[in-house]
Amino acid sequence: MNIEFEYRPGSTAVKITLDAQESITAEGGAMIAMSPNMDIQTTTQKNKGGGGGLLSGVKRMFAQESFFFNHFTAKDHSGTIYLGTSLPGDMINLELTGKKIFVQGGSYVASSADVHMETRWQGAKNLLSGESLFWIELSGHGNAIINAFGVIYPIDIDGEYIIDTGHIVAYEEGLNFTLSKAGSSWMSSILGGEGIVCLFKGKGRIWCQSHSSTTFGQQITPHLKAIKK
Amino acid sequence: MEHHKFEYTIEGAPDYAFVEVKLPQNETLKVEASSMATMDTNLEMKTKMKGGLSRFLSGESIFINEFTARNGSGRIGIAPSMPGDIKHLHLDGGQVVYLQNSAYLASGVNVVVETKFQGLMKGFFSGEGLFLIKCSGTGDLFFNSYGAIIELDVNDGYIVDTGNIVGFTEGLEYDITKVGGYKSLFLSGEGLVAKFRGSGKIWIQTKKVSPLIYWANPFRPQKGS
Repeated sequence: MNIEFEYRPGSTAVKITLDAQESITAEGGAMIAMSPNMDIQTTTQKNKGGGGGLLSGVKRMFAQESFFFNHFTAKDHSGTIYLGTSLPGDMINLELTGKKIFVQGGSYVASSADVHMETRWQGAKNLLSGESLFWIELSGHGNAIINAFGVIYPIDIDGEYIIDTGHIVAYEEGLNFTLSKAGSSWMSSILGGEGIVCLFKGKGRIWCQSHSSTTFGQQITPHLKAIKK
Repeated sequence: MEHHKFEYTIEGAPDYAFVEVKLPQNETLKVEASSMATMDTNLEMKTKMKGGLSRFLSGESIFINEFTARNGSGRIGIAPSMPGDIKHLHLDGGQVVYLQNSAYLASGVNVVVETKFQGLMKGFFSGEGLFLIKCSGTGDLFFNSYGAIIELDVNDGYIVDTGNIVGFTEGLEYDITKVGGYKSLFLSGEGLVAKFRGSGKIWIQTKKVSPLIYWANPFRPQKGS
């Protein structure tokens, strides 16, 4: 499998070249174009023929991802497929080497056949943080492609680090976060416009996005046509 | 008829492309209505209705403006309505290019711009309107996209999401079809695709407009009752 990114970071597409019989799993709707020798299977669960079924499908809907995955397989000879992002932004490839990676709901694009995927309920703290209620847990060995709103940049943490809600794309196993306040008091945090932030602890890498789609969406709200009740 | 290749510079590609064209004296450039951003004062503008009713139906504005340099050369800066890429081609008289109905940006006067009815099934189901814009003749042609433009050299066909087609060359035929089996049609999220046959070039855009609209919808304000 060859993975090539084009036009990063503003108009990113990824071109994936598969050998004959090789497969890639992608988020529903991500395919821009492909060679005609691709076979497509649509399932609710990442792993072909695996369990999960409807419940994991519903879980994924809450994770702001499409309900279904498409498995693309190059049939008789090698094939190409282009995948895109839904919002303008960056894409990167994460190479999984056994360490788990947690991806924010909505940031998953695609993964190779040996990467295992599960949706994880993160509890009520995510409701407050403005992040998705679900994270996608990736494990195993292989490639995982993630996207973001804006540019993706990594930060290596050893100890503690604060990331504003809405800017987390993915983080490695070994890190954990709790909700915290940006300022010295709750009052200054809220008046300062920073509100609630995520306090990460541990050792590992976190991938951030330069912009928060939620903040941008709130900015354009006054310019959008109102929904009649 | 003699014609000139225009000097041009495209800047800001692929995220925010705009093009500046230098017109020699008495040369004319046709530009999609409302796309002129800047120009020299010696450029004369005429508004022409091109293609009549069918162009109106194609979803493009029915007006193309013609800019002519008088008393010397002049520059015109053209900015498409969507943030994205611009592609330039020079048609040599033998080539025919089909553009998705909002991709046309500008062309020389000897480029023939027509709307082509795609047939009800092809047009309606593709979600991209019933018409393609057919460009033939001789001269410079500029077209634009939402997102970056990727040029595909196709020899034995290719499949493209209907929302990602910018244009393609004559010699390619397409059918609107589903990806995979019937389950994939309704559940895959890929909707319908254009299945191209034959050989030629296809230009695709890296972004689609519909997911942006889908994303913005939850941010719409509620009209208070």
